[in-house]
Amino acid sequence: MTETRIPYQPLKALDRKSEHKFALPIKRIHDSQDVTFFLTTTGYSDIMTFLFQLNASVFPRKIQREGDLSEGVKIWEIRDSDLPLSSIVQQIKKLLDKLGSFIDEAPPNTGPRRFGNISFRKWYDIVRARLPDLMDEFLPNDILSLGIDVDESVSAKAELEVYLAGSFGSSQRLDYGTGHELSFLAFLGCLWKLGAFPQAEAGEEERAIVLGIIEPYFELIRCLILTYTLEPAGSHGVWGLDDHFFLPYIFGSAQLSPAINAPADIAAEGSLPNAPNPPDVAKASVVERERKTNMYFSAIGFINDVKRGPFWEHSPILFDISGVKAGWAKINKGMLKMYNAEVLSKFPVIQHFPFGSLFCWEKDLSAIAAASSVHTSNQPSNLTPTAQARSDPLQDQMQEGTRAPWIGQTPPGGGTATPWASRLPLRAPVPAPDGPTQSTRAHWSTPTSTLPPFVMGNTTSAPWARPGGSGVSSSSQTTMPSIWAPNPGLNKGPRKT
Amino acid sequence: MSSGGSDLDKAIQQLRACRPIPENQVRELCYKARELLIEEGNVVGVDAPVTICGDIHGQFHDLMELFRVGGDVPDTNYLFMGDFVDRGFYSLESFLLLLCLKVRYPDRITLIRGNHESRQITTVYGFYDECLRKYGSANVWRYCCEVFDYLALGALVTGTATNLEPSEAPFADPSSQASMPGLDQDIEIETLNSNGEIMFRFARNGEVSQPSQAASAPSSSPLVDTPSRTGPSGTGATSSSNGSRGNDGGAVLCVHGGLSPLIDTIDKIRLLDRKQEVPHEGAMCDLLWSDPDEIDGWGLSPRGAGFLFGADIVKCFNHKNDLSLIARAHQLVMEGFKEMFDSTIVTVWSAPNYCYRCGNVAAILELGEDGSNAGFVRRANGDAGRKQNSVLMERGERGREGPGRRYRVFEAAPQDSRGMPAKKPVADYFL
Repeated sequence: MTETRIPYQPLKALDRKSEHKFALPIKRIHDSQDVTFFLTTTGYSDIMTFLFQLNASVFPRKIQREGDLSEGVKIWEIRDSDLPLSSIVQQIKKLLDKLGSFIDEAPPNTGPRRFGNISFRKWYDIVRARLPDLMDEFLPNDILSLGIDVDESVSAKAELEVYLAGSFGSSQRLDYGTGHELSFLAFLGCLWKLGAFPQAEAGEEERAIVLGIIEPYFELIRCLILTYTLEPAGSHGVWGLDDHFFLPYIFGSAQLSPAINAPADIAAEGSLPNAPNPPDVAKASVVERERKTNMYFSAIGFINDVKRGPFWEHSPILFDISGVKAGWAKINKGMLKMYNAEVLSKFPVIQHFPFGSLFCWEKDLSAIAAASSVHTSNQPSNLTPTAQARSDPLQDQMQEGTRAPWIGQTPPGGGTATPWASRLPLRAPVPAPDGPTQSTRAHWSTPTSTLPPFVMGNTTSAPWARPGGSGVSSSSQTTMPSIWAPNPGLNKGPRKT
Repeated sequence: MSSGGSDLDKAIQQLRACRPIPENQVRELCYKARELLIEEGNVVGVDAPVTICGDIHGQFHDLMELFRVGGDVPDTNYLFMGDFVDRGFYSLESFLLLLCLKVRYPDRITLIRGNHESRQITTVYGFYDECLRKYGSANVWRYCCEVFDYLALGALVTGTATNLEPSEAPFADPSSQASMPGLDQDIEIETLNSNGEIMFRFARNGEVSQPSQAASAPSSSPLVDTPSRTGPSGTGATSSSNGSRGNDGGAVLCVHGGLSPLIDTIDKIRLLDRKQEVPHEGAMCDLLWSDPDEIDGWGLSPRGAGFLFGADIVKCFNHKNDLSLIARAHQLVMEGFKEMFDSTIVTVWSAPNYCYRCGNVAAILELGEDGSNAGFVRRANGDAGRKQNSVLMERGERGREGPGRRYRVFEAAPQDSRGMPAKKPVADYFL
């Protein structure tokens, strides 16, 4: 295991993008069998490839000093002023700044509330309304306009917008989770496939994406969470890795791993000399120092900002991980495996991920060979059974399924339901489920505008619910029994939504 | 843990110290609990006085704080409205302690089922993981889930007093004592802080007192003379409930979530077959999942299970079943409790600083005993259709005098006494 390397294989840009036919991303994952299929699709391998690529870019690099044979090490930190940012990276960063500035236009509601602040809906509505213009303003027009001339003319912009709009939490549920985080990763992956980022040496552009776009994105999300008290999407309390995020732990552990010459050198163990020790995550003073430069500590610093109580108690999973003896490289590799199993392989999260022409719902024929070398070897051996094992909690196999502590990571509501929900085709209810990760009902979500203002606090959603539903099934209204009908003055009957 | 009470007492002692008991003891405890719970009806009859508690969610140290504030078992009678487990770090210790107390003092403590007392929910929201982590196998989780299936779905509290005996307690803010209703008046609501000091007192004739501005009262008009629509913090007390017709507070239905469109009488709850996993829909599901909301009639729940129900539904149900109040939990409220719909329903939330981050206070609700008729408890237990003129009931009018309600509000337990445990082995990903 220790000699396993993470092969470097960048995400391929489209060959003939001018002829490419774009598609509005739609929901494809409806049950746990679909999750199993998802793990064989090109969409899945593209996500993992892009993630590995970004991950490798923030490992410290060995450098040859000029006129000197001794080796040095270059590390990559948040707000590194040496970091060259391409113009598109700077533009996307500005776009994020712009979205953050809308918070002033939607100040948090000061009235009585349960938890999540309804003014988030106002912020989100502003974003949705202005996003098309903002994309035109900040993203390259030759990329956005791709596809307009082709047949049914879905533009690249339309496909991109679905992922971008899905990156900022749910305005209906007033929450944010790893499903939204994944949507932002996919947005960047789409731009990568469209060749929007310039070619550069030695992971320079990927590094700019991680430190110049993704970290500012986390800062925006943290600001939204604090301003609008956004819920952890379907909070699992202490039993998730983190209430809202996952990716900072991947990139942050990479930042502290041993230096490499090239991605192929990535070690399975060890740490950068002088890196803070993994157990330091439980020391508030070290966290305060390191959060300025490291994404892992930055994420933990945010937890310390919002939680009260002993770290080992409110964040037991991170606490346990801090006991890993084999260093940050080991933690980095574990985080990648865990992301694969607990985010990408979990129905409650991944069900909301939509597939279009760039992240495709198509079997990846080349990946069957590649998978064993590229992915499977870097994944927990029990990866594939994950979804199935979880689907029947009453059976003993659960004990052998994924190790438990992280099952909680992301929630039933954890995904990115709203943006594309309205585009979903109506679908017949699936048969009764046999597990917590399957849904049972017809589409059950109510349109945002009809939601009562205070219902969305720290609530539990039914894991079988489908927040991404496209409307209310008429049958759910006809199930209202007539015993409530005879009092017209008291009961107006089922609310029409 | 053989049959003797001393073993049980030992287990209680160990759990009070927040130390889990061995697996074989859990098995035996769960077996005994099931034997006990199987004898209970779907709606347990409970006599006042009783202290009603909302969600706990594995916040063990806060449960200890609850007992400190509300009195210990068996000195105080308790009714817990479910959601003992999930999310918190100590679901196991919290639930097993409550279960031990139930087996040891069956008449002193009532446990009803919350939507988290379910196999499906606990596998997603943490309790399953916690059991695996603390025992290395899922056996304890399985034993507990078998108990969940036997928990009652609701409780009906009878024999409550309409008016409170005013607390012989100091005021949180002594300077405002003058604005309190006099002790000769009928006290409907009192709110005490965790030191037992009076924060609010509300007389049945509508006088509001808010001695402590420190408490988070949304109202900006603490004037005594004005019958205010806004009662003490969290209450919906109004001046509409004038006068007192005898000192009988009427029956209080306690249920975790709320009402169901399939249930119009309490007797219909009694007819359910409850000994099963919580279904995804239907009456049993709704009782554990629904939420009251500012709507007319019924609405779809954003939770994906249960329904939303409006004031008209509650008033109609209470009237038809001769209830004065529905007490329920299930939703975080920042002030610990929240009365709605002219005090016909109250949400009680007992997990302070929920999930270590929400910054909310917690509350418990004490209902006093009606001493005015020498222990005779009038029947008010869902005798449907007794009131023939239910249609005449107008919006906003209380069907029946509510019981006197004493809320004790408390904050998260101090954390200094908790030592750091050893790190557990990490998951396979990191090996």
